[in-house]
Amino acid sequence: MAAGPPPTAAQAYRPNRFVSLPAELDPETYDLSPEKRRAEAERLAIRARLKRQYQLQLNNPNPPAIIEDPALVRWAYARSQNVYPTFRPTPKTSFLGAVFAIGPILFWAAIFKADRDRKEKLIQEGKYKRPFSVF
Amino acid sequence: SEMSKDLLPGPYPRTPEERAAAAKKYNMRVEDYQPYPDDGFGYGDYPMLPNKSLHERDPWYQWDQPDMRHNWGQPMHWDFDMYIRNRVDTSPTPVPWHIMRKHFLIFLSTMLIMFGLGEIYPSYRPVGPKQYPFNDLYLEKGGDPNKKQPVVTHYEI
Repeated sequence: MAAGPPPTAAQAYRPNRFVSLPAELDPETYDLSPEKRRAEAERLAIRARLKRQYQLQLNNPNPPAIIEDPALVRWAYARSQNVYPTFRPTPKTSFLGAVFAIGPILFWAAIFKADRDRKEKLIQEGKYKRPFSVF
Repeated sequence: SEMSKDLLPGPYPRTPEERAAAAKKYNMRVEDYQPYPDDGFGYGDYPMLPNKSLHERDPWYQWDQPDMRHNWGQPMHWDFDMYIRNRVDTSPTPVPWHIMRKHFLIFLSTMLIMFGLGEIYPSYRPVGPKQYPFNDLYLEKGGDPNKKQPVVTHYEI
């Protein structure tokens, strides 16, 4: 079976969860289509509007005590108070909850029980050497 | 906080109007806005931004918050506190990740196998018991000086 076309530099790099693709290898860097430029212009417009709002507050002669960042408030709210209302028990979440919440308890209970039983058996047979205690 | 409910994160957006409203709320373009999949994990309508750390953001741009490389009102990544510049760094490496991983695993496994073999089949220079002078240090070990010392010779002629 003949091999396919040789992998591109971006495919040979194989970006994953830990490293991202360098901009030089990303074909999007070299994409100069009008759609991309319009998207960039829209993003720039949003960014400029936000910058203007921030600078107006910052250079205000009577500045407020704290210029609160709504993005930060939303981030903190989403991570703390929005988790419970949007949580839904699904097979995946139930499985993960069982594995990470109930699993360790059962695991360590089994380990400690087995260890105690082994020690108790040794004590009953008289083979257990009591560890030294100061008290 | 004093922000109204429609400015705070909410549940997963179902209709296109909800998506547009959520994109506007988070100061994003509607095409850029992509919420986390609705798996019931608790993300709600929070946008899913690319998993890139702050190391990758332009160090020369005039950010509003230069240490966080963050602009006022810009949507923050869900794992923002993981991706700060003191912590996880996802910037591209000169050597691809899979090559680094392969080299590291080859080295680690070689060293572990060799150390394991060394434990199972140890190999040292031959040694004999230590030979002490003065009849095996008879007086130093507390032997009686008035008694005759037992003679210990370590040589053969």
